[in-house]
Amino acid sequence: MLRYILRRLGFMLLTMLLVSIVVFLVSEVAPGDVARHVLGQFATDEQVELLRNQMGLNQPLYVRYFDWLVGNDWRHDSKVGMPLTYTRARPGDELEWWAVEPDGTLVQWRMKSGSLEQIRITTDGERTLVPFDEWDTNKDGEEIFWGVDNANHVVLWVKGSEDSTGPASAGRTMTKGGGREYYPLKKGLLRGDPGISLRTNRPVGPTLTRRLRNSFSLAVIAFAFIMPIALLLGILAGLREGSPADRAISLFSLITTSIPEFASGVFLILVFSFWLDLLPGASVFVDDSTPLENPKMIVLPILTLTLVEVGYVARMTRASMVEVMNAPYIRTAVLKGLPYRRIVFVHALRNALMAPITVIMLHVNWLVGGIVVVEAVYGYPGVGLYLLDSAMFKDINAIEAGSMVMVALAVSTQLIADIIYTFLNPRIRYT
Amino acid sequence: MHILKRTKRNVHPYVPELREQYRNGKVTRREFLRMATLLGMSVAGANVFLDGKQAAAAPMMRQDIKRGGTMTIATRVPRVDHPARFSWIEGVNEFRQVCEYLTRTDWDNITEPWLLESWEANETVDEWTLHVRQGIKFNDGSDFTAEDVVFNFQQWLDPDVGSSMLGLMSYLQPTNIEMVDDYTVKLYLDVPQIGVPENLFHYPAMIVPKTFEGDLTRQPIGTGPFLLDEYIETERAVFVRREDYWRMGADGDPLPYLDKLVFVDLGEEESARIAALQSGQVDNIYNPGADVWQAVKDLPGINVYSAPTAQTFHIRMRVDQPPFDDVRVRQALKKCIDRQKMLDLAWFGEGVLGHDSAVAPVHPEYCSKPIPAYDPEGAKALLAEAGYPDGLEVELSTQQARAEPAMAQSLKETAAAGGFDIKLNILPSAQYWDVWTEVPLGITIWAHRPLGIIVPALAFTTDAEGNPGPWNETRWVDEEYIALLRQAESTLEVEARRAIMCQMEDIEAERSGHGIAFFTSVWYVCHERFQGVRAHPTNYDLFDEVWDAEA
Repeated sequence: MLRYILRRLGFMLLTMLLVSIVVFLVSEVAPGDVARHVLGQFATDEQVELLRNQMGLNQPLYVRYFDWLVGNDWRHDSKVGMPLTYTRARPGDELEWWAVEPDGTLVQWRMKSGSLEQIRITTDGERTLVPFDEWDTNKDGEEIFWGVDNANHVVLWVKGSEDSTGPASAGRTMTKGGGREYYPLKKGLLRGDPGISLRTNRPVGPTLTRRLRNSFSLAVIAFAFIMPIALLLGILAGLREGSPADRAISLFSLITTSIPEFASGVFLILVFSFWLDLLPGASVFVDDSTPLENPKMIVLPILTLTLVEVGYVARMTRASMVEVMNAPYIRTAVLKGLPYRRIVFVHALRNALMAPITVIMLHVNWLVGGIVVVEAVYGYPGVGLYLLDSAMFKDINAIEAGSMVMVALAVSTQLIADIIYTFLNPRIRYT
Repeated sequence: MHILKRTKRNVHPYVPELREQYRNGKVTRREFLRMATLLGMSVAGANVFLDGKQAAAAPMMRQDIKRGGTMTIATRVPRVDHPARFSWIEGVNEFRQVCEYLTRTDWDNITEPWLLESWEANETVDEWTLHVRQGIKFNDGSDFTAEDVVFNFQQWLDPDVGSSMLGLMSYLQPTNIEMVDDYTVKLYLDVPQIGVPENLFHYPAMIVPKTFEGDLTRQPIGTGPFLLDEYIETERAVFVRREDYWRMGADGDPLPYLDKLVFVDLGEEESARIAALQSGQVDNIYNPGADVWQAVKDLPGINVYSAPTAQTFHIRMRVDQPPFDDVRVRQALKKCIDRQKMLDLAWFGEGVLGHDSAVAPVHPEYCSKPIPAYDPEGAKALLAEAGYPDGLEVELSTQQARAEPAMAQSLKETAAAGGFDIKLNILPSAQYWDVWTEVPLGITIWAHRPLGIIVPALAFTTDAEGNPGPWNETRWVDEEYIALLRQAESTLEVEARRAIMCQMEDIEAERSGHGIAFFTSVWYVCHERFQGVRAHPTNYDLFDEVWDAEA
């Protein structure tokens, strides 16, 4: 069993790796340009080109992929000649890349009025600005310097080059007389850093964590609602095949599953928000509170998800229940005079639940997909809306991080389903 | 009457003449105000000059005003860095609460001094003196002086900063800015330009202190009425009242009246915003399109304000590529536009019709022309003349947003009778902005600008080397037109400028690469408890004098 689980986890990592490559390739060929998007419709081609350069988008695809996967500081620190570190210089600061001097002092450089300036933060947290003039000379006789700027790039500065190649004029930081070459520093996903969102210019990690928290709140509550209701309805219908209750449940399931979320969502808003004025029609978070602190706000999203999912799982359960109830061993149990309750709960249910468990676990993925639509309809700040926006924006770091979470979720729910089977059916053994 | 004295002393020689024109009925009162403020008078001063008394501005009673309250606005919260590089109005509207401009173009399209006390232009309009208002402090406690103004000009004109102000102010070299004293700045322009005050309210011209390093979210320092509390891209931006803002409210205490502003990002989906407005979770929706307007205009408790604008959609053809390199083909397509039908379909009839010129009726120098009729037969004849007797197949690209898809659909239908077989290529917005200058035939939205000379200067001119400028999406370059434009840019007198515009509008309609079917209205949707709210033609959120009647 343990070996089986380990092997499955290994496959999961392999799947994630393959998906990450596919996502990278797909987003590469998808139309649209993230730099253009950041700069807006009226940016000139030169500005777009310079920002692409600063974002490192002009490097070959495989270089960008491996930078994303395993980071690139270890490739670039030889240029700077000092170890690089990704850290908060002082408590409360943002995570930034710094070069480290032997005594632990953190250093960045920036251009100020045509000359370089060093930003130094000692281990005591003392920040000083020092004019810097230790230029090297390259083989063309230009005075150059490789350093780390204050926007997480390794930069090649060339002295007095203001009018030649020019800096990336549309980058994050004003860099008068800025660098000639830019390499955005990355730690790499495998080393725990999903990178910086190109859309927001903030680390993906904290945003994604917050969004995941919101989505999971929604999904877990929805799941907790959907499954008992769906199983109950399915079992009830399956036990009395052809009865009016069965017909009613089947009809209800058919109708709700066949209406997509974007339609039922709008319909629910219309009823509960516009006509009855009972519930807010959108999920507006005006402060840092969590969804659980605003229960009213998540009622409609959960209801929307429930409507779509309940019918599907209920129909599956019903079919499975009907099949089991018609099986010879159940007839035998009835004939030998066992109480009905005992037949249903001890003999029928465990077998009948095999199929629904598969469906339920597959439905965790469906739920996640449904959440994308529901979040868009209600403006709910979850991971689905985040992924959708990021995909529209071609924000590759955000898309990759989000997809990895989704893949991990999909594969691991399947693993959990497999493990549950062994409890439901002792004949199943994995090796 | 301090204002009266100052304006009398500094009055521009043209202002008395303008008053004569007003008295003879040649210009309207609004045009007079516009021109007088353009020449450096305050609105109040100009009213006094015209009537000898204060205009009857709606008197705001002290007891009417309530202080406190929070306004929540549904919008986007984009990434921002340097204000000179702003690209999305949503982000501008958020930081406009913290930082201000040297001038302000108000809801009626009138530009007046703001962080400036006043301005003066010489008679040839190529030398401008800016008088900086004294006694204003940034929210970090430092004084606002001419030094800050010069710093901002240098930022705008520094190619390394990459501001669109650089193109707008191509008439000014960074070396021609002189700081006369602590509160006076002089600009020596290369060529005469009457639009300087308007340009100073162009959205990237937000004033930051001279210590600014390039990221507003890290250094939210400005002279404005609110302070930044929280800025989370794609989620929300929160601003709180500043206690020592320089402008006073009607009750004698410093503005603003509101305590807090919350901008929430609900994604692109309009239904979420409408539902949030309806259930009172937000008070205001940024820049509602025609569909949203339809959905919310009859909601109880919601006021809808509207303003005429020069915002329009250019049906634009690349004149450097076949088939639109033939002027007859361009004219044929323009004849195929059924303007009223298109406006009805795309914007529920809320707007005014255009005649293929970017100058709109709201512009002071607008020259009225007849609206071209829908003429498919004429189009067919022109196409045949141009060598397409059997009609012509073309692809029309535009973005999946606002009026564009409906316009494209309307054009496809009405142009079929004129011999055009139009294939539609409706792209997601992000993808359209990737190719908007490149597609042979497209529909592009152009934002409202306060003067009629501004869009032509951006869209129908050349760069320094004589190639079509970066925003010249049609590549249309007409020497006669550009010469007239340059003349208009140096003509202060509104009737003389209108005469030039009459010629320009004709040339544009006849030869250019764009058709303009209509100019839209903009709406401002807000909960009725907020007072002092109006629709701004450029969708700017000006909240300093807004107050909450239920606070």
